[in-house]
Amino acid sequence: MHRTVVGVDIGNSTTEASLARIGPDGTVDYLGGALTRTTGIKGTVKNVDGVVKVVTRAAEHAGVGLGAVDVVLLNEATPVISGLAMETITETIITESTMIGHDPRTPGGRGLGVGTIVAAETLSDQAPGEPVIVLVAGGVDFDVTAATLNAAMARGIDVVAAILGNDDAVLVANRLTVPIPIIDEVSRIDAVPVGMLAAVEVVGPGQSIRTLSNAYGLATIFGLDAEQTRTVSPVARALTGNRSAVVVRTPSGDVEDRPIPAGSLELIGANRSVCVDVARGAAEIMAEVERVSPLADVAGESGTNTGGMISTVRQSMADLSHHELRDVKIRDLLAIDTLVPQDVRGGVAGEVALENAVALAAMVRTRDSGMQAVAAVIAEQLSEAAGRDITVRVGGVEAEMAVRGALTTPGTDTPLVVLDMGGGSTDAAVLGARGDVQAVHLAGAGDLVTKLIDAELGLDNLELAEGIKKNPAAKAESFFHVRMENGTAQFFEKALPATAFARVVTLSPEGMSPIPTRHSLERIRQVRRTAKERVFVVNALRALRAVAPGGDLRRIGFVVLLGGCALDFEIPELIADALAPYGIVCGTGNVRGSEGPRNAVATGLVAAYA
Amino acid sequence: MTVASTTSDAQRTMSFTEIGPAQRGSRSDEVVLAVSPAFADFFTQTIVNIPHAEVIRQILAGIEEQEVAARVIRVRHSSDLAVVAHTAAKLSGSGIGIGILSRGTSMIHQRDLPRLSSLELFPQCPLLTLETYRNIGSNAAQYAKGESPQPVPTLNDQMARPRWQAKAALLHLKETEQISKGAKPVEVQAEFSSAAPAALS
Repeated sequence: MHRTVVGVDIGNSTTEASLARIGPDGTVDYLGGALTRTTGIKGTVKNVDGVVKVVTRAAEHAGVGLGAVDVVLLNEATPVISGLAMETITETIITESTMIGHDPRTPGGRGLGVGTIVAAETLSDQAPGEPVIVLVAGGVDFDVTAATLNAAMARGIDVVAAILGNDDAVLVANRLTVPIPIIDEVSRIDAVPVGMLAAVEVVGPGQSIRTLSNAYGLATIFGLDAEQTRTVSPVARALTGNRSAVVVRTPSGDVEDRPIPAGSLELIGANRSVCVDVARGAAEIMAEVERVSPLADVAGESGTNTGGMISTVRQSMADLSHHELRDVKIRDLLAIDTLVPQDVRGGVAGEVALENAVALAAMVRTRDSGMQAVAAVIAEQLSEAAGRDITVRVGGVEAEMAVRGALTTPGTDTPLVVLDMGGGSTDAAVLGARGDVQAVHLAGAGDLVTKLIDAELGLDNLELAEGIKKNPAAKAESFFHVRMENGTAQFFEKALPATAFARVVTLSPEGMSPIPTRHSLERIRQVRRTAKERVFVVNALRALRAVAPGGDLRRIGFVVLLGGCALDFEIPELIADALAPYGIVCGTGNVRGSEGPRNAVATGLVAAYA
Repeated sequence: MTVASTTSDAQRTMSFTEIGPAQRGSRSDEVVLAVSPAFADFFTQTIVNIPHAEVIRQILAGIEEQEVAARVIRVRHSSDLAVVAHTAAKLSGSGIGIGILSRGTSMIHQRDLPRLSSLELFPQCPLLTLETYRNIGSNAAQYAKGESPQPVPTLNDQMARPRWQAKAALLHLKETEQISKGAKPVEVQAEFSSAAPAALS
């Protein structure tokens, strides 16, 4: 007797169905499938609407009608949820205004000037001879500034450089009789110490300063000994890459690049536990995580940033899963080093420095998913709609079903590993040659990438970061063409929208959306790709090591990518590159030879039932 | 960006000297600034009494600070801001132009855009300050260089319309009377005259 079954996979964002007729001898004949948006949070009774809709559609698609359906199979949702946190672990502090390193967009003049800082108002009292650097407050007109400097030079005063409050450097430089380097847009000009020896350096567009960013350059200018040179070396480092800078020699001024006491993480393993200082960076944390694995829980040192970070994650996950706070046990942790732009404390011109930060993704195992309750309601509603009894079964763990579905991809064989990387977690399952399945769930996936992009580009807009993550970027060079990431041009018949002009845009299927920042196309691409590498590639390798026979990647034959990441335009390629040295065949799944990376769980449910 | 808050030499005046018919520019690092028929001529200040001399000086300063060249033209056949600005954009070697009317309303335009579109529009002339004009020049120059400037921040006041509409309409009428039909745009040279700027101290 033939039986018609529908496998239904309720995912975080989509609900998928696969309909098949199973013959008396167990042969499976796939007739159709359907896909719709998941209603409500996965594992709750609100899912029923979406499931009823998708089953009805699959039946229509297969041309059999809802009345022909005998059994509906549901997956047991992966019992994990994940949380994220990020904290900076270093800060740059300028004491006594030792430097101005804010890199104004349009400094004036060229060259290096070394002299004593003098306010423009007192320039007339200055005796000729000694080299001076003139300090001009904001609000002074550029013609007045230029006239003041020209008059002083005419009186024989050796004006070697100028520091301005206004954005006037080029204007003033163009009006001077003798060219000097000029720095502008120094917002807190009152904080610049008068009467101190200082050096101003400006170079041409596209270049970066050479003298002030070199510790020995500073030592030469200011006549420093070895010990003093050691103390100014952070100043030099902080100015690297700037087009212009000012360094002031103050008696005890300094630039500190100091670590914030970030606190430590206590990693509690099944057999042992260790304490690791977060300030030591992601590599060390991850090494410890591997050493204590399997992880039973993680605690943060209370009263520190780390403690706050862990408790935020824990609280958000407790809220999501409706568990008691003490029942939330962190079973995996992914730490990632990142650099985030932060305002420099003590800066006089709104300087920004890239500070080290650590991003953490944590994964928590939840109790049963509540899918049985959902199944009962679905059975009731479907039976009513079809006018006959339809059995609904909760069949099997999601990862096992996914791996069975993935096996229908043409060209695969056991041992087969599926990597399913979605928004919250990375799931991997291996199907051994004897049909045994083993699964692992790791923290960190798409949401963490979005957060890294958001922080590193300083966007403060997760929606925008999500757009950058999902789509290739291009620069709109005119109203009729964009320059793609790989340097090729794409032309358009119709003019682009005015909002896209001269901007870096993301090219989504819905159209072009401008990215409202000053970041270049290259920088956006680099941040996007490194964020994906640090999360997806790292997690792919971690997951494979966990499921590979004997931990040896070379003993895995095939890796099939499923889930959100498999649909991404560059992640499959990044992962394939990383796995190539192990002789693994890696690619995006094509379930049943027709569905692409979708429908694997739904298909696997049917296959497992047959 | 900050601009001189005190115009200590407030008596600065400016005149435009015609130097011939406006030609299409060939250098790609220029911005063309087009003024309306009566700008700095029949009128000498904007709707809120900002001297035209200071307005032009700040727009040109904004362009110069970005190390981009500027040319000024006078459009004589229309008092429509879109026409004025688009004429500037079409004559500009970079394709970027700025248009400004006597009452102060301004626009950054690009030659490939439809005339009634714009890159940035500053419609509420009573709210525009000298700092805004400096930023308009600066942004136009950055567009010319192929950069992506943040749009100039502007104020918005719902009351500006009822409060200023009558005066704006009157000024527009007066400006439109200054149109010479069919006249081609001319290139002009801005000449500022004032006592040599007093040095600080």
